[in-house]
Amino acid sequence: MKIAIIGANGFIGTRLVEHFHLGGLNEVAPIVRRPVSLALPARFAIDWRIGDALDANSLAQALAGCDAIVHAAIGDPRQIEAMPAILAEAAARAGIKRVVYLSTASVHGQSPEPGTNESSPLHTGHALEYNDAKIRAERSFHTACQRHGLAGFALRPGVVFGPRSRWITDLATDLRSGRAWLLDEGRGICNSIYVDNLVAAVEAALTADAKHAGAYLVGDEETVTWREFYGGVATALGIDPATIPPLKNIPDFTPGTAARLQSLAATPAVQSVLPLVPGIAKRTVKNLLVAAQRPPAVDAWTLPAAPGPRVTQELVLLQQCRVKLPHTKAAQALNYRAPVTFATGLARSLAWLAFAEGRA
Amino acid sequence: MSSSSANAAPPIPVVLVGCGAVSQLFYLPTLRALRARGELAVHTLVDPSTAARGVLASAFPEARGCDALVNCDAPAGSLVIIATPPRFHAAQTLEAFSRGWHVLCEKPMASDTAECERMIAAARDAQRLLAVGLYKRFFPSSVYLKTIFDQGQLGALKRFTIAEGGPFRWPAATPSFFNKAQTPGGVLLDIGVHVLDLLLWWLGEPARFTYRDDAMGGLETNSVVDLHYANGAQGRVHLSRDWATANEYHFHFERGSVRWKTNDANGLTVELAGTPSALRGQLITPPSSSPAGDVLQPTNPQSFILQLSNVLGAIRGTDTVRVPGEEGLRSLRLIESCYRQRQWLEQPWFTEAEAQRARQLAAQP
Repeated sequence: MKIAIIGANGFIGTRLVEHFHLGGLNEVAPIVRRPVSLALPARFAIDWRIGDALDANSLAQALAGCDAIVHAAIGDPRQIEAMPAILAEAAARAGIKRVVYLSTASVHGQSPEPGTNESSPLHTGHALEYNDAKIRAERSFHTACQRHGLAGFALRPGVVFGPRSRWITDLATDLRSGRAWLLDEGRGICNSIYVDNLVAAVEAALTADAKHAGAYLVGDEETVTWREFYGGVATALGIDPATIPPLKNIPDFTPGTAARLQSLAATPAVQSVLPLVPGIAKRTVKNLLVAAQRPPAVDAWTLPAAPGPRVTQELVLLQQCRVKLPHTKAAQALNYRAPVTFATGLARSLAWLAFAEGRA
Repeated sequence: MSSSSANAAPPIPVVLVGCGAVSQLFYLPTLRALRARGELAVHTLVDPSTAARGVLASAFPEARGCDALVNCDAPAGSLVIIATPPRFHAAQTLEAFSRGWHVLCEKPMASDTAECERMIAAARDAQRLLAVGLYKRFFPSSVYLKTIFDQGQLGALKRFTIAEGGPFRWPAATPSFFNKAQTPGGVLLDIGVHVLDLLLWWLGEPARFTYRDDAMGGLETNSVVDLHYANGAQGRVHLSRDWATANEYHFHFERGSVRWKTNDANGLTVELAGTPSALRGQLITPPSSSPAGDVLQPTNPQSFILQLSNVLGAIRGTDTVRVPGEEGLRSLRLIESCYRQRQWLEQPWFTEAEAQRARQLAAQP
């Protein structure tokens, strides 16, 4: 089987290419949008291709001769929503019958209700725009697959960690700079999935009977808390996990005027009329927005303060999660088993970090 | 700048071969700056792509357009700047010398050292200048480091670490950078040319070295070179197109250390052993020689301009070429030795089966 990997330069795409190419059982065709993204796929003598996940003509050409697709491309919310329909159309034009789309467990929110599974109803009223975009994208994916007669599998992983993952790199940076924190002593459940386990789920979806097409939650076998996740990384970096401070105050994440204006400016409607606005007016508004977001100047009589915690709304929501999302459906229909333990996955991720930092 | 800017010598005609990213980003402003000083005149822009030529042509409307160097009619004594992919360098350089032109060839000087040697011999036979575009030798920071290595103000060098690179962002118009048939090396041949050129210039040839990279049948994105010198100094160079490195050179001497951020042409951090703080600052002309006030040493772009000015001065006979072909050859020779001795760089997140297969792929020619 020749498998096209769309978004082959991302951290999941990179691991998919490594796995399939080195596994030797399947051929792999990494697809990236621009030549500049070929550095990692080009480590192999491999049939890489240039194709735009937002352009059905370009993508259909890049998919020629492939038997199945894994879609691991990322983008902003609008691009996320647009990609699945383009993907299905391009797949149909290329004569491909099976598509695996990487969705996310965040379609259930970062802190889902107990009892949540694939049949739980989804809503698009989440605090994070990303969640809503992925819900719309997944719906669009299933509709488009049906329209084009494709077997469409949407995988919903939680916190995907591994080599080149932000969950490793950002956490290492935060721990080293004293900006990491834990909520409620890290009791929250992080719904982790080591990237190789996600690759195993992809492989299961590629070989499963087409009648099982649908959406699947996938994760590590273990129930991992945020304290265990942070503690493992901290220990490997020589930092005592007990020194990770608690988050004392959860900030107000209500978007300010500047953020709302920026969000509005990014909408297609505003973008379409922007060329008609005089340049001087655009520059004035831009300068005002920049000024509004600039931190206050520090005068010479202020002693430097320790860095504050780096708090994002996504992480606050994730650390409040009390539910281990089940992958029972994937186990039954796709025969999915996570082949790598959490501890091994973390050890491999940290070995990569040492490699990337030139410590290997 | 060289003194040639102020004299009345006529501008030297320049032919720019290759109108891609390096020409648009680096040579366009450089040619413009030196044209304004009367040092050169842009005679011809050479590129098979009319669109690529167009960007340069709008800046130099007086220049002729040409699809291939062989069709160019610049007068003898002109300077040809070769900014094409490396596989074209040797043939274009030989063509230039056969027409009586001088050459400034972008790095890497050629696809391999055999081509470099032919280029050097052709320059000698034609009695023309062959300079190589290794402009980091013109950075005041690298000149300062060279002085410390040569004169030992901080004592002998003990060890060093160099980490350079990050996710590949060069605005390449085509995938040729990643096509092994068109480009014979990855990150080592790309940014490694500069790093190894500087090390050879600063420290001379290593007594021995080991080289590892992550290519598995394709082109490497991570390279590690461990170098040992006859005086006991040793160091590691880590290059990456994959992940952001510290982008820093760190040299430890007997009496202190020096940190240099990649591409910071006129800044260094110096830590003198036993002192409570380090000094971080910009390089200025010594106050003793600039009584009117502090004069900042040239910036990164100004160093690029200085490189071309140096070659023009050498053509006029008022300067000598700072990086001639023989020097450009050295880093390429070391790179070839690295590739000949290459070992697979262990990627510790691979499964055992993957690592075994990766080693097999890496061992294939």
